[in-house]
Amino acid sequence: MFSKDVLRLDPEAETNRLCRFLQDRVLVHYKRRGVVVGISGGIDSAVITALNVRAFGAERVLGVILPEKESNPISAPLARQLAAKFGVPVVETDLTPVLDTLGVYRHKDLIIGRLVPGYDPESDKTKIALPPNVLDRAAFNVFTLTVQKSDGTSRSVRLGADDFREIESVQNMKQRVRMMQLYHHAERLHRVVCGTTNKTEADQGFYVKYGDGGVDIEPIAHLYKTQVHDLGRCLGVTDEILNRMPSPDTWSGGVGDEELYFRMPFEVLDLLLYAWNNAIPKTQIRGVLGLTEQQIDRAFGDFESKNKATWHLRAMPDTIAEASIPDLQA
Amino acid sequence: MIKEKVKQFIVENFAFGTAPTSLGDDTSLVGTGIVDSTGVMELIGFLEQEFRISIDDADLVPENLDSINRMVSYVQSKGVTDLIPGAGE
Repeated sequence: MFSKDVLRLDPEAETNRLCRFLQDRVLVHYKRRGVVVGISGGIDSAVITALNVRAFGAERVLGVILPEKESNPISAPLARQLAAKFGVPVVETDLTPVLDTLGVYRHKDLIIGRLVPGYDPESDKTKIALPPNVLDRAAFNVFTLTVQKSDGTSRSVRLGADDFREIESVQNMKQRVRMMQLYHHAERLHRVVCGTTNKTEADQGFYVKYGDGGVDIEPIAHLYKTQVHDLGRCLGVTDEILNRMPSPDTWSGGVGDEELYFRMPFEVLDLLLYAWNNAIPKTQIRGVLGLTEQQIDRAFGDFESKNKATWHLRAMPDTIAEASIPDLQA
Repeated sequence: MIKEKVKQFIVENFAFGTAPTSLGDDTSLVGTGIVDSTGVMELIGFLEQEFRISIDDADLVPENLDSINRMVSYVQSKGVTDLIPGAGE
């Protein structure tokens, strides 16, 4: 029966189950010595760190902290603090020089400067976002770029498709460079790269293919974001991280996951996503969440369009076998 | 004329030359997956450029843009008619 408690889990039992999964995959399946985890200062990587320490002991977990000049300045200290709390050794590398060499900042600044005359990359902060709460209004998922000036004023422009694709492809290099770093350490230490994607992100395509999606194992891909949060509380994740706004931490303007992509608070999002995934009748949802049928339709429409639009993120590379191309001798 | 131009743009840009059998004048473009969210951004750019109109953010809702007929009505509501000389040339 659908209720507000439908996502409630037994954190201790789930932790034990996940530890068995990690031990089986890393030691038996991959036959590796341990794991490498990118610690961001957010809740997902904090939970993954804590779980791996529980499964293997801290000495078999390497935390990798990868700030760059547009990261929130508080992220790296929080990541260090978490690693210290769980006794995890860390390697920290500033990705700014690599991203600079790849032209990430220059390329992005050129596009933004063209769209927002007067943009000053040295002092202005930037972010992109989707329209606000989809439960209030059924606006299409069209991104807006906002430039925040140092004097407190801001200017927003709607992104066209070409500009959005250009900016997205540049920004995604950040996650892909992070992935390269994680594999560098995993290969030299004969370890597994452990992913941090949760079910909310996986279902809705909120990750970068061969970026944060480029990993060996995804232990929490079956858990909604709010469940990861509950697990984090049980595992002893620090309050600063538990209470922090979830964010990919790739925009200097500090945009959160909700504003950037999901268009509603996680508490409602996860319950609605669960209902959508499990075909819960709308009459039940209405009663439990106090939403109108129209609001539910809007949310489900948004879930479906994001899920469909991101199918390729979840796909393995196609081979000729999938394409029904006849054999040469046929 | 407006309808033909819109339909032609959709077929050429989202179906790559072959009109999907599911594409009717009232078909939901997003709901059927013919157009994704980035495709919507392409459609907006096309409508603005082709018909020389400006689309407000507040108008970016399915009621205005989620089918060929809705787009035609929306473009017409902005004062564009098939008879305007030079429109879309």
